Amino acid sequence: MSATAAKQLKEVSVTRFELLMDAGFGAQKAGDILVQAFAHTGRFVYIEPMIPAEISPPSRSRPALSGVIIRVADFDVTNIGNSTDLILASHEIVLDRRLDDQEETPNCCILLDMCDYENNKESYDQVIARAKKTGHKIHKFNVVPEAATAIKSLAGKGKNIYYLGMLAAIYGMPEETMIKEITATFGKKLGEEILQKNISLFHHGHQYVDDHFDLAYKINPRPLDPAKKKILIDGNTSMSMGIIDAGFKLISGYPITPASSIMHTLAKVFPSYGGLVHQAEDEISAIGTAIGSYYGGVPALTCSSGPGISLKQEFIGYASVAEIPIVIIDVQRSGPSTGMPTKTEQSDLLAAAFGSHGDNTKILISVANVIDCFYAPQMARYLTEKLHVPVFIMSDFLTANSYKVIDKLQVNQLGDVNDIKDFVLERFHIQRLPDHIEMVRLKQSAPGTPGEMRRVTGLNTDEQGKVNYFAGTNHRAHAVRNEKIHHVRRALLKPEMFGPEEGEILVVGWGSTRGVIEEAVAKLRKEGKPVSGMHLRIVYPLPLMLKDIFKKFKKVYTVEVVYGDQYKPPPLAMLLRSETLVDVHALISKASGRPIPPRLICQKVEEVLHV
Amino acid sequence: MSDTIVNPSPLTLRDLNTENPRWCAGCGDYGIIAGVKRLMVDEQMAPHNTVNVSGIGCSGRAPFYINAYGVHAIHGRANTVALGLALMRPDLNIFIHSGDGDALSIGGNHLIHAFNKNFNCVFLMYDNEMYALTKNQTSPTTRKDHPTNTQPTGTYLRPFRAVSLALGCGASFIATTADWMPDHMLSTIRAAYHHRGFSFVHISQRCPHFDPENFDHKSSAWFSFLQHPQGIEPDKRLKDKTQTVLHDPSNAEEAFKFSEDGRRYFGLYYRNEQKPCYDDLLRRQITNAKPGDHNAILDRFEI
Repeated sequence: MSATAAKQLKEVSVTRFELLMDAGFGAQKAGDILVQAFAHTGRFVYIEPMIPAEISPPSRSRPALSGVIIRVADFDVTNIGNSTDLILASHEIVLDRRLDDQEETPNCCILLDMCDYENNKESYDQVIARAKKTGHKIHKFNVVPEAATAIKSLAGKGKNIYYLGMLAAIYGMPEETMIKEITATFGKKLGEEILQKNISLFHHGHQYVDDHFDLAYKINPRPLDPAKKKILIDGNTSMSMGIIDAGFKLISGYPITPASSIMHTLAKVFPSYGGLVHQAEDEISAIGTAIGSYYGGVPALTCSSGPGISLKQEFIGYASVAEIPIVIIDVQRSGPSTGMPTKTEQSDLLAAAFGSHGDNTKILISVANVIDCFYAPQMARYLTEKLHVPVFIMSDFLTANSYKVIDKLQVNQLGDVNDIKDFVLERFHIQRLPDHIEMVRLKQSAPGTPGEMRRVTGLNTDEQGKVNYFAGTNHRAHAVRNEKIHHVRRALLKPEMFGPEEGEILVVGWGSTRGVIEEAVAKLRKEGKPVSGMHLRIVYPLPLMLKDIFKKFKKVYTVEVVYGDQYKPPPLAMLLRSETLVDVHALISKASGRPIPPRLICQKVEEVLHV
Repeated sequence: MSDTIVNPSPLTLRDLNTENPRWCAGCGDYGIIAGVKRLMVDEQMAPHNTVNVSGIGCSGRAPFYINAYGVHAIHGRANTVALGLALMRPDLNIFIHSGDGDALSIGGNHLIHAFNKNFNCVFLMYDNEMYALTKNQTSPTTRKDHPTNTQPTGTYLRPFRAVSLALGCGASFIATTADWMPDHMLSTIRAAYHHRGFSFVHISQRCPHFDPENFDHKSSAWFSFLQHPQGIEPDKRLKDKTQTVLHDPSNAEEAFKFSEDGRRYFGLYYRNEQKPCYDDLLRRQITNAKPGDHNAILDRFEI
């Protein structure tokens, strides 16, 4: 295989590829540069980074796998898709590890760097044999000698840029666009000499593919609207910016993957917008301090993940009873306990909705993509300040870390929560709440207000805020708190639906599964299958008309990234069953830590359609 | 921390009354909230700019008996709530009311970090040396061999020394007093109030219901006052009935010796006015930051 002339040009609407390297060598950085070039030339991208749970595991070990999965298309992609058509791996170990996940398309094309072959012949041969046995094509290559020397002079760094050159050539990205992106990314940080070395590495990689690789992809561009500015952003960063835009002034958290990056992002910029980042001594303290701030009238939130949510539960119940607003971001990960901290899961739904002690009231907003992440903090602030009820923003590892190129979002600068924009409410499928909401206690002022001295407590109190344990007042307090949630139930509009509102099968999901449900339903409907989809943005409480919608389908199924089996309905199925008394089952309840591919939904729907 | 009162008529003790406390007759907690109210009147503190924060236990009810703002929070976590107020509402006067179990047991982690953070508030530790509201269990400060409901043959361990803990954690203000000496308690709370930082006031507090023999308040031979020109004056009524010891409150090493020698001392153990306050440091992030253009928050993500 040589000669450019023999190149096979694959024109595709959508394709997915991966760059696999050892942690710490810049695979994700290379991916960032490439997707910016894709976006600048009118292609759509969805990116999922693969991050090791440890910091820097030894190179050439299976836990060291770090990389990026990129799905590029000529249409707006909403998820990471089904399978990988091409893999570029820096050595055989990371490839071997990734093959375990079985996410390749049959006949996947694998470019394998043979750099370590001399000392690891047996290992290389085994992995190559494994890949070939699965039917994949292996293209072995070595970094050209001039480039290898340059990489050595950079202490092993720069290989990612060589690979970037290769990928740019394979996916038809113009060299001048790529050089511009590389310069924009490294120009200021690296200095001229190192930048030039990197640019040269890029050219070498590009040239190698031009000369020695016989496959190229063509993804047709969409014309770009030059008036529309685009941004590249991941879920947690979008959430961080949304926190500023929503008018929060304090984020109080404790380090936990995958929520910490919200604190990291805000630590750099929040003070410029009058906000503070407080790292507490533990999870309980973190939420306590946010509650203190909100009691003082200053909007505050806390962010965490499963184990941290468990620790915060007593305070969450307390805030509900004391009627202090509070927002909790839960970036879910695979659990329980530490579980798989860099893998995704939707397993905190019931803990968030029904956790804490006694009867307590909460609202759960879920986010499906980076745009939701930006607006969810406004939605949460609106609900918590109107109702004085704890509000969760349920994200997950996938949404938090995946990034997309999107049209630049409208900034709102929310002050008084009553000024929340209609389009934000519409995004979460809810109407404005009534002006007056009854509280357990008449006094709800923040300190500093003369004559309104408000003393809050977890003890039962009457309307005046006086502690009492009478049956009537206790029951009233519960009723008033629950009525707040009923206000939300009544305000909820019909959830987002894909396809008609009646048919054979309805597939329901929440949070990060939105994109795959949308894509799978679209494909099935194209094939004439009577299938519709539903996605819940606010996932607790549920809208009152849900049962009526469900009744118009023969079967209702959920799709969830969480464990479930024939005797154990996964959380969403359990919730829907109990709220609607409809015999909802899980179509997919996988605790693989990996996003659900749309193809799996299609396959399972076919199975149940033929039952 | 002071604030002008909107109401032009001066604040009186009566203004600070709410309902009658539900504490047992003879409980030391009455004396402590009386001290706080007295201070508020002396300082003409605006009640609407004052917040009493508490955890759980008999002491946890204190905010309900002072007509100011109040947060009766969850067990052991009053410090965390108070920090949120100290950070975001530096205009407020903050008092924390916490018992020995609340502060040293379930809330121990928050207390050691509060000493270190040194955020601005007065922390009143109501130490009756037992769990009372949950009915007579051993607390971290229960004296050894004293029988309780959970250790009926006598408490097993040597009691925790709160002052040593505070000194070890680098607390910036450590004073001790007792509920039955109102004059000394008021001087102590006043000194704590005027100290900028986390002012730790340890108060020996009687529990006549579960442990009436503890703290013989009729005799004074079993304790001494710490005295110094920079310290807190010994109680007027009791100073002639017991010994006073000269102690320079800037001397942490000597303070340790008093804390560990087994005798009880009332007075100012330690004060360090130079220790930075975490709340000030954090807020300085805002004053030092270049103000950002809110409309431009997404600009740096443009491609």
